[in-house]
Amino acid sequence: MSIESPGSGVAKRSFELGDELPSLRLTLAQGEIADFVHAANQAAPRFISDEGARADGLPGQIAPGNMSLAIFSRLLDGIAGAEVRRLSATFRAFVQPRIPLVASGVVTDVENGDGGTLLHCDILLETETGDRLVTGTATLFLPNDT
Amino acid sequence: MILDLHAHTDASDDSRASLEGYLKWLQKKRDVVPVDGIVLTEHRQWNPDVDYRSLEDRYEIVILRGAEVETDYGHILLYGVTDAMARRFDFADVHLDAQQVVSEVEAMGGIAAPCHPGRPTIGLCEHYEVKGALEGVRAVEALNGGSRRGENERVEDLMQRHGYKGFGGSDAHLVSLIGICATEFDAEIHDVDDLVRELRDGSYRAVDFREQVRAARA
Amino acid sequence: MPDSLPEIDRSLLGREFERSVSQPITAAQIIRYARACGETDPRYVEEGPDLIATRTFPITLRREKYVPEGIPRDLMYRGMDAGKDVELGAAVRVGDVLTAVGTLHDVYDKTGRTGKLRFLVLRMVVVNQRDEMVAIVDQKMMFR
Repeated sequence: MSIESPGSGVAKRSFELGDELPSLRLTLAQGEIADFVHAANQAAPRFISDEGARADGLPGQIAPGNMSLAIFSRLLDGIAGAEVRRLSATFRAFVQPRIPLVASGVVTDVENGDGGTLLHCDILLETETGDRLVTGTATLFLPNDT
Repeated sequence: MILDLHAHTDASDDSRASLEGYLKWLQKKRDVVPVDGIVLTEHRQWNPDVDYRSLEDRYEIVILRGAEVETDYGHILLYGVTDAMARRFDFADVHLDAQQVVSEVEAMGGIAAPCHPGRPTIGLCEHYEVKGALEGVRAVEALNGGSRRGENERVEDLMQRHGYKGFGGSDAHLVSLIGICATEFDAEIHDVDDLVRELRDGSYRAVDFREQVRAARA
Repeated sequence: MPDSLPEIDRSLLGREFERSVSQPITAAQIIRYARACGETDPRYVEEGPDLIATRTFPITLRREKYVPEGIPRDLMYRGMDAGKDVELGAAVRVGDVLTAVGTLHDVYDKTGRTGKLRFLVLRMVVVNQRDEMVAIVDQKMMFR
């Protein structure tokens, strides 16, 4: 998938509640979804083409939930040196090709420990017009020495 | 006084927010989301054994509890839940009889208020079109923070036609969405009895903080 | 619930229904998946000793069974992925042999915008050949 404004890979070491992650803007192409599901062992017809999706009673080709998780993983890479420990998502509406999307995140809690910092984040995948398609949370570990 | 009347913690199957997460967020974000209290309305359950007084004191935020149940007229928020209500109705049953819920909860000292009425299938509007109106409804959730475009807009007509009062709630399932829609009461509310009294007969209105939240994040 | 949704035998809860062992993970698999995710970071797309899989790679493991015996396979084809909770552990590297163990973790009903729904929560625990936890995935499958 191609991302129009990739996160800047912030090298910030100190975070507080309310800090925003660098957001991503992207539009999935039909072929990108098909490529993803082939690489992810998930090549069901609904993910491959509009025709395959309609045969399942869907409005057209959709992206699998795992692709939304992959987008979130890219979003979280926006914090340089952080390791994703937990990732959760609720798939509220279909993610479809050709629709401009925005992935965003915000820090909701910070726990400082001996070896580093745990960052708890809310993460959203929305259309450009603000319809929430996927909501989720993530926990990142940011080691002290990176 | 402003309360968010509809929020879910991770006690609900589809929420990923902890109660303390909400409280920390509200404490830090008071300038954007000026909410004085929240009402936890977990899906399909009532736990009689929890006590949030120490958290209320620590964060200086009112924490009240209700429930969100599922009926043949869609989802309904219950305020003033008692153990007797939880014995009378199986909150986990997704086929509760809405008329029984509205009437009997009222008789038992609470109030049952349909939420997100504009949503398909689980909102009141669609059911009223085919089954007629419920008796005894006093208020509905006029503004729901989780609704999609067009869903809140359907509620205005419902309220006018049936004379319902309207309140607001975030329907938050994530920490950063708490308080984005809420209810402003003219009276002070300190406990669930105050809340039931005011929802029944008091003066209140839905308030929308979504734009200022968006602006603050931009 | 509608008749089209069969009852789920709750005695299946918590019982292991699959144990799939992967072939050794190859650099080609890791890189192909990373590229499909749009990754350009050399850690994920350049062959060599430092190559690791992107964090969501273990979710995509090919498995032998996706549901316990006794749950009709056609039911699964009608299902939608409603959400996932993933705990991530050790990174996946070339040569790792991953074992995925599946259990039915929960079953419950609710109503949503599209009507009455049944949810199955399928838990997959993935460990590597050193018995390190790689991922614990709770997948919520939703059926109408």
